[in-house]
Amino acid sequence: MKRWMLLLLALNLVTMGFAAPALAREAGTLVVVQEAEPVGLDLMRSSIQTTMSVCYNLHDTLFSPQEDATVKPALAEKWEKVDDLTWKITLRKDATFHNGDPVNAEAVKFSFERLNNPAIDSPHKGKLSPFKDLKVLDDHTITIATAEPYAPGLYILGYYLPIVPPKVVQQMGDADYNIKPVGCGPYKLVKWTKGEEIVLEAYDKYYGPKPAYKKVIFKAIPEEAARVASLLTGEVDVVGAIPVNQRKKIEASGKAYLTPQMGAMNYLGLNTYEPPFNDVRVRQAVNHALNRELINKALFDGKAILCAGAISPRTFGHDPSLKPYVYDLEKAKKLLAEAGYEKGFEARLSYGTYMSQIQEQAEAIAADLAKVGIKVKLEPLERAVMWENYKGKKLQMFIYWWDDAPEPDRYVYSLFHSKSRDYYYKNPKVDELLDKGRTVIDREKRAQVYQEVDRLLYGDAPWLYLYVVPEVFGVANNVDYQGRRDGFLNMYYAKPKAK
Amino acid sequence: MLHYLLKRLWHTVYVIIGISMISFFFIHLSGDPVMLMLPGDASMEEVEQLRQKLGFNDPLYVQYGRFIKKAVRGDFGESLYYHVPALDLILERLPASLELSLAAMVLALVVSIPIGIISAVYRGSALDMGSMLGALFGLSMPHFWLGIMFIMIFSVKLGWLPTSGRGTFAQLIMPALALAMSLMAMFARLTRSVMLEVLSLDYIRTARAKGLREFYVIGKHALKNALIPLVTVAGMQFGLLIGGTVIIETVFAWPGVGRLVVQAIFNRDYPLVQSIVFILALIFVAANLLVDLLYIYLDPRISYLEEK
Repeated sequence: MKRWMLLLLALNLVTMGFAAPALAREAGTLVVVQEAEPVGLDLMRSSIQTTMSVCYNLHDTLFSPQEDATVKPALAEKWEKVDDLTWKITLRKDATFHNGDPVNAEAVKFSFERLNNPAIDSPHKGKLSPFKDLKVLDDHTITIATAEPYAPGLYILGYYLPIVPPKVVQQMGDADYNIKPVGCGPYKLVKWTKGEEIVLEAYDKYYGPKPAYKKVIFKAIPEEAARVASLLTGEVDVVGAIPVNQRKKIEASGKAYLTPQMGAMNYLGLNTYEPPFNDVRVRQAVNHALNRELINKALFDGKAILCAGAISPRTFGHDPSLKPYVYDLEKAKKLLAEAGYEKGFEARLSYGTYMSQIQEQAEAIAADLAKVGIKVKLEPLERAVMWENYKGKKLQMFIYWWDDAPEPDRYVYSLFHSKSRDYYYKNPKVDELLDKGRTVIDREKRAQVYQEVDRLLYGDAPWLYLYVVPEVFGVANNVDYQGRRDGFLNMYYAKPKAK
Repeated sequence: MLHYLLKRLWHTVYVIIGISMISFFFIHLSGDPVMLMLPGDASMEEVEQLRQKLGFNDPLYVQYGRFIKKAVRGDFGESLYYHVPALDLILERLPASLELSLAAMVLALVVSIPIGIISAVYRGSALDMGSMLGALFGLSMPHFWLGIMFIMIFSVKLGWLPTSGRGTFAQLIMPALALAMSLMAMFARLTRSVMLEVLSLDYIRTARAKGLREFYVIGKHALKNALIPLVTVAGMQFGLLIGGTVIIETVFAWPGVGRLVVQAIFNRDYPLVQSIVFILALIFVAANLLVDLLYIYLDPRISYLEEK
């Protein structure tokens, strides 16, 4: 017995090694924790938030998208419109990739072509599809053309066209590039130990101001309570995806604070093709039946922003004159009666179980609708099943969410244009306006187009409008990081807090 | 012996094929990953294109045939999300799972066997009652809760141990302990009951009558016989542990296979799920085989020679 026990023990010691017990931290190192590890580090190949977050530290794009849906220079130094379809873009001359290769017009052209190459199946291909042609004028100048005028073009390029080094990608191959990419962002990759950590180091030749932290380490802790605990023990500095029920604990600890940026816009979609929601009065009735204020207070500590219509109140093009549907049970009942449902009806409400705090929201909504005679049957679904049913037009009422994006085209077009999706709602007038919104370059005039969309959708009520839910990050007291509205954890924007 | 081994290995092939077939058809019943891989505004043509490219339009048996044909050559396909060979991903994670399982297993055995023996020898005493009560406690506590409690006490309150991750000995302690708790309880109870049985046997009385020291009687004569059922259970548990530590791996952010498989299932990453099931089945079968071979060492009367 002794022999095999000894053998097991020896094996055990060999596999784990005798490492130092303490997790000592070097000064100038920032440790960031997300709920999941990236699936790769090639920004072109993933649209998963936790993956893209790490990628934005490594990669850079032509433009820096701003929270009001405008852009500022990044790798592009200046740009001008040649005509309604073409931009001429001048690149800065001092930008290099982490291996020293210059970021030049060839690299931009190569990146554009690579993103459209079916071999890498880029999930961003669709977003860049309005762009048709990219020409190199000289080493640092390109023109990029669209088939139709495309107002949000630069903003989209700023998020979804990372510039990659042609030589490296060709030598390494796409699979390896996804694991050890060479980017041109503020941080370069040092090491990725799968399942454990991704170590980044400030790139000393970065063209912009140098990052405040020399080293950034990304880790993944999937369990909520453990994630928060790691912040409270001081092991890590920035923690993402903090559920509402853990927030007070962080605030009370005195060791960390919560960043206030908003995250997801939740909405409740209605199947407008089938009764009872094919009647606009019924759709308006459910909007009047929901006590949004109370849900906000009870579930989000009053910190959510109530939505009046389909365009988030913080998005460019939202009509500020619209106010959320008033909570008015009598009016709701009256509308239902007019539509022939004075006795109410039964309906299914589907939602993905993976969504944060979703069960509580679904229950609260169901309770409100019950007051006007709508018996809601809750249908929690696993992520993939929910998605399949959604796309298969099998849902009746459903809760989903979208990023609270600054650029209206990014989501209103995606969600309401029948070319993009017509699963539960279709409106030719909305289609027309959304097409127009893309082509109007003048910002003021463009805003008016989206405001009209906003008003139209408000009255037509294809959704039960809900709220923008605060998504918070927990940040250690000695770190200054305010979070970004896009929700990406880009540590270029973090710095030590002045004492 | 060699004959026996070959026969067992041949059986293993059947088992593996069976498992791979069942898992293949079941996961394919659960839906198509293509929709999930593309963003919501992807057009139907894009969906169709990708489906065609990945071969999901072919009948299931054709897909299965393709999978097996590649699998026997060691090619398990590429993960749909990580875009790297599925086998590489598993092999990267396997050491972490083995390390955690082994640590928990050793810890459980080292603690539980003495407890079981002491309980058996001092049957009915306060010591026996106390340890069996403790074992019941260990068995009934859910891993998940235990893990979180450990973090709250040893990391947040006392600041002794890091909350999660892998790499240092300190990071191994809590997950191994949390995982070992229920094993300890199981092994301690098993050791106790088997020892009680063995201690009442004639050859033990003989040994005592010969005037052997009690320590020797229990430690050598009794324990070796008591080990057989223990080895069986421990072997089976070890096979289960490798892929079954999902919860502990999640709580402590331990980068093992368990977490990988859960993510793969949620993402409908078919090639990855397939490969993990395949590899875990292989490990489970190997652990079983090893247990059978250990019997020979523990009890020379057990023999796998053909009786003629």
